[in-house]
Amino acid sequence: MGKPHAIIIGAGFTGVATAHDLALRGFDVTVVERGDFCNGTSGRTHGLLHCGGRYAVKDRESAIECIEENMILRKIVPQVIEPNGGLFIALNESDLAYRQAFLEGCEACHIPIEELSPQEALRLEPNINPKLLTAFLVPDGTFDPLRLALAFAATAKKNGAQFFTYTEVNRLILDGKGTVTGVTVTDRRANRTYEIRGDIVVNATGVWAGEIAKMAGAKVPVKPTPGVMVAYDQRLVQRAINRLNEPGDGDIVLPQRRMVVVGTTSFEVEDPDYIPVLEDHVALMLERGAELIPGIRQARVRGKYMASRPLIAAGSGRSAARTFKCFDHKETDNVEGLVTITGGKATTLRAMAEKTADIVCQKLGIQAPCLTREIPLLSYRQYFALS
Amino acid sequence: MNEKSNLPAPRKFLSWFNPVGRQTGGWAFILNRITALGLTLFLYIHLLVLGKLAQGPNAYDSFVRLTHQPLFIFGELLVVAAAFLHGLNGVRIVLTTFGISVPYQKQFFYALMTLAIIAIVIFGYHMFTS
Amino acid sequence: MSDNKWNITLKIHRQKEDQPPYFQEFHLEVDPDEYVLDAVERVWAFMDRTLCFRHACHHSTCGACGMRVNNVEKLTCITPIRAVTQDGGVIKVEPLRNFPVVSDLVVDMSNLYARMEMVGAKAVLPVTQAEIERPPATWPADAEQYLRLTDCIECGLCISACPSAATSPSYLGPAVLAAAQTVGLTAETLPIIDSEDGLWRCHSAFECTAVCPSAVDPARRIMNLRQQVVRQRLSSLLKKS
Repeated sequence: MGKPHAIIIGAGFTGVATAHDLALRGFDVTVVERGDFCNGTSGRTHGLLHCGGRYAVKDRESAIECIEENMILRKIVPQVIEPNGGLFIALNESDLAYRQAFLEGCEACHIPIEELSPQEALRLEPNINPKLLTAFLVPDGTFDPLRLALAFAATAKKNGAQFFTYTEVNRLILDGKGTVTGVTVTDRRANRTYEIRGDIVVNATGVWAGEIAKMAGAKVPVKPTPGVMVAYDQRLVQRAINRLNEPGDGDIVLPQRRMVVVGTTSFEVEDPDYIPVLEDHVALMLERGAELIPGIRQARVRGKYMASRPLIAAGSGRSAARTFKCFDHKETDNVEGLVTITGGKATTLRAMAEKTADIVCQKLGIQAPCLTREIPLLSYRQYFALS
Repeated sequence: MNEKSNLPAPRKFLSWFNPVGRQTGGWAFILNRITALGLTLFLYIHLLVLGKLAQGPNAYDSFVRLTHQPLFIFGELLVVAAAFLHGLNGVRIVLTTFGISVPYQKQFFYALMTLAIIAIVIFGYHMFTS
Repeated sequence: MSDNKWNITLKIHRQKEDQPPYFQEFHLEVDPDEYVLDAVERVWAFMDRTLCFRHACHHSTCGACGMRVNNVEKLTCITPIRAVTQDGGVIKVEPLRNFPVVSDLVVDMSNLYARMEMVGAKAVLPVTQAEIERPPATWPADAEQYLRLTDCIECGLCISACPSAATSPSYLGPAVLAAAQTVGLTAETLPIIDSEDGLWRCHSAFECTAVCPSAVDPARRIMNLRQQVVRQRLSSLLKKS
């Protein structure tokens, strides 16, 4: 029997990480993507390599996932990460009231933090709000979104995975017994339609997971939940700056190359294909960002855009868990041959892939351990340099 | 894939002379190439003419009569202009190519071209009035 | 920002497989403070799902969305519509030059990435080695542990704008030479850089620096490389005599 063939729909973070994991487990992998790498949510991620501090109080499952994956990614793909840490800063009494819960949460989730005096924090980051009351140094990082994905894709490609961009799935092919046996795709570069058959189809389309699942009569409870990001043209800080409070709007500012990016907001939409930038959200980012870094008011907007989180519907908006879930549609909808992986955060991409690959192997009766925790990724450029 | 029109190729040298979408450095580049071609053409014609002069006094005299025509003088002025533009821009190219004054290459170009224009005007004045 | 909408025409380069290329016009209503990329994305979302274009980060850090907008190389995610046209105007959108066209607005940049790899370009450098906007006079002792993503986002605008790259397929190109200068010459990369198709193919058009959206200043780096190479050659010449 030859290698099992997995078809992965979507070349965002989950798609490329799953391709990498399955390729290492001996699968033939075909990834189809209707656009180019990371053209959906993944490309527009804020770029924060979470330490988990943001979730340590209310969503400890996510927090623990984050700190574990943070450490793994620093090891396997340092080439795209600025591992320069981050700060949580308190600006008022309300923030200070959160301090105790934050300390306890980080302790419980094993997130190494260090409290700094305002003077110490300002020495590290002269441009943060001088009126800060306290600060915590945390092991945050920032990464380059597209290049993170390309590093996974490069390694998967080296191990035999094939990637077809501009290739849109029109239909899931079902046999008479309600099993998904492949996909019908259109190569948009040439307007050519053809079929790809496989042993399992992995739906890694993030916010579009529901649309793909529908093609097989299956349901995925994913709610596209966009938010705004605003990039300013000055790099005012060298590390991630978080507000010490309950997760809210505009409470993270990251450096990204010669910019700082302020994010984000949260609201639900039905159709995530195109979400126009809402100016009142942009204005809110300026206000909230300037609270953390007053110098933002003197900077100019370089870019503004909307990014849609795939939230799994259990609660909504900020109360929805930021964890991920892999749905085996045989269990949920009696559709064999299809799994969906969605939810999650950029930081947990490798863990999402591990979970998905575990379920895929279990479904196909294959014993193959996950190897992605240890194996360093190839240079992201190898995706193109390999022919 | 119909890549032919977009791939780099030696036969696309005419694109060197297209100023659309270019900025100061690009205009300087085009100017340098046009004046280079002009000066080369001049050199060729000059050698031809010298060859003619070797044919004896009658050829020489008829040639000298030609050189007093305004159109000819204008042609000479073009050569002078090309020499100044190419030469002065050339100074900029030589300096910048070894890392001197690169951040000021635009200002450098404008300054030198101003000098060139002044020189051309002065030469033109003298050529047409003597 | 602005409540007023503009009516503009996008004239987009289309090309599918072996068919000859053509321009297709789309009329849309846009907010002039939106970006050219937003307009292209709208065309795909609401008017023509066959349109192929590349985009990822939408904030000038990935380098994916480079295109020629009204004949000038631009990173479309940070180019406001207001900057390239007016109400009732036309925006011509074409793929970058000097790369093979895959389809519509998408070009194949494999060559660029492969060459960057060849000269040992790094995406992150210790902050003491990365050229940053306001370096301190002296670095603190532990500065080396802090890394910085390099400015170059491999967008290809410089190569598209370079007249030498237009006629010389084997020219390494401004981005690659700039990366070699940033990361430093080594014994392996020196012969690649100090060659006919490396350093010396540049003929000082400075268009690369003019269109670079990322403060890489490739022209300055190429000229600096020449200084380094000539100095090395001179000193080895003098050593011999």
